[in-house]
Amino acid sequence: MLRFVPYILKTLWRHRSRTALTVSGSAVALFVFCFVAAIQQGMDDLQERQSAKGTLIAFQANKFCPATSHLPQDYDSQIARLNGVKDVVPVQVFTNNCRASLDVIVFYGVPADRIQSARDFQLVTGSWSEFESHQDSAVVGRSVATRRGIKVGDKFSIGDISVNIAGIFRSSDPGEENYIYSHLDFLQRTRGANLVGTVTQLEVLLEPGADPDALCREIDDTFRGGPVETDTRAKGAFQAKSLGDLVQLINMARYLGYACVGLVLALVATTTIMSVEDRIREHAVLQTLGFSGPRVFGIVMTECMILSFAGGCLGVGTALLVLKVSSLSVAAEAVAVAFSPSLGVALSGLTVSVFAGAIAGIAPAIHAARTEIVPALRHT
Amino acid sequence: MALVEVRSVTKRFHKGDETITPLDGVSLDIDEGEFISLMGASGTGKSTLLNLIASIDQPDNGTITIDGTQITGLSRTRLAAWRAGGIGYIFQTHNLVPVLTAWENVELPLLLLPMSAAERRTRIDIALRAVDLSDRANHYPRQMSGGQEQRVGIARAIVAHPRVVVADEPTGDLDPQTSTQILHLLQRINRELNVTMLMVTHDPEAAAIADRQFRLDHGKLVQVSVPEPAGTGSGEI
Repeated sequence: MLRFVPYILKTLWRHRSRTALTVSGSAVALFVFCFVAAIQQGMDDLQERQSAKGTLIAFQANKFCPATSHLPQDYDSQIARLNGVKDVVPVQVFTNNCRASLDVIVFYGVPADRIQSARDFQLVTGSWSEFESHQDSAVVGRSVATRRGIKVGDKFSIGDISVNIAGIFRSSDPGEENYIYSHLDFLQRTRGANLVGTVTQLEVLLEPGADPDALCREIDDTFRGGPVETDTRAKGAFQAKSLGDLVQLINMARYLGYACVGLVLALVATTTIMSVEDRIREHAVLQTLGFSGPRVFGIVMTECMILSFAGGCLGVGTALLVLKVSSLSVAAEAVAVAFSPSLGVALSGLTVSVFAGAIAGIAPAIHAARTEIVPALRHT
Repeated sequence: MALVEVRSVTKRFHKGDETITPLDGVSLDIDEGEFISLMGASGTGKSTLLNLIASIDQPDNGTITIDGTQITGLSRTRLAAWRAGGIGYIFQTHNLVPVLTAWENVELPLLLLPMSAAERRTRIDIALRAVDLSDRANHYPRQMSGGQEQRVGIARAIVAHPRVVVADEPTGDLDPQTSTQILHLLQRINRELNVTMLMVTHDPEAAAIADRQFRLDHGKLVQVSVPEPAGTGSGEI
């Protein structure tokens, strides 16, 4: 079939307008498909990563937005004494928007000397010593820095909070790159509030082999009936609960992805049927020259798949580029889901485009292959 | 033994309740290297007979054997493979693929045959030279005159060295002067390459260049010219 590729490409080039419209239509559909797949991937990634880490989050019971959760900070020492707990990190959270949004700023206040052990951050620019030695300094995730145009040395303000940027970090967890980390006590004292002694949540790191469900129950039992009750969950489950309706929306968006596949299919099939109808005589000439039905079938199928694949490459490429450059994320209740433009998303987009092209091409290809030569030669 | 043996071939078409029988038990033998012309008024079935011999249509009854292969019994796929190397078809309206250059149009049948790229190039060059179009190899059909397009069509028909070349009104769309050139070209190819040729035409002058001339009349084949003594062909009514 390879030796007929020049003929196929020339045919597509000859009908440039039709080819361009089909390719661009497929590209738009695949662009949307990749966006949906990227956010879905970000969601899956978030849940898988957190469940694999063995980390629990203790939050104030019956509270939802981080601004309303105030756990006594000394709970950390009580939790740390439980069997199976490796460490407890107190975290103060501040967010400018508790609802779902595409541009939420989330501050995590943690003890400065424990951030490197609790996270896998690598500084892209800036220094840890600068961060640790200045209470009003912060390190910023790469995605936030890109989205907000933040550089090391800048002063970044949001609401009453103002921090000096000491570093920009990257992380193996794309979601983390959407947060700003500052000193715990700085965040406790900021905005005129005195929250010293309380934290939004406690991050409980488990020993290998510890049973997370049993520990969740044990922590909540420890503080049941106390001044502030806790609601403890595995970090993945906690984040899924925080994202709430957003998770359902993201899951529903997959149907948008399926619709895009259908769109590519319909578009390419329509174009190919039109093309085959236009060239019914040409296909009859090819068969007169000795092209068999299966070979004509193969030519039409290849043409169809090239159209679809070209649209796929354009759409997937553009989507990945836009996602990479924009560093988009969607967040709710201080939990961010990053749009993850991964190789897997790209490959699934390209695979979808090829399969959609193949399915769309079957009917027109059969039509072309079964052409009765003599009547088709009389076709004008 | 004749190269082409047509035996008692009948072809019917149904048009509503009416049945038309353009070929009614037609038999014909064509020897290797012969040039046969087939005349008849419109609708008498001359193109139908040509299409049956070219194996792009099937008879309702009868058999057609070419070079020992009974083509009336072959499947569509095997017929296509057989056509690729066994038959050259010259169309009235050239039917070149518009997106391909003259060179690429001539190359098309060779892409179906097992041969090296070098062999392919050599054959295309020879075929284009035979129709005196070497200098137009890179031109597209839209950049050529009708006569030039028909010469490309002839080059495409002979490039695979088929045993039989069929031509369906090859001068039908051409002016008289170009028609004469094309007819001379066909005659030269027949003689120099010893290609067996069957030409359908409604023009008696064009038909006259053939070794033997036939006419289709009411579904029957009638020989209208007597072969020269040295001729080897024979026609059956």
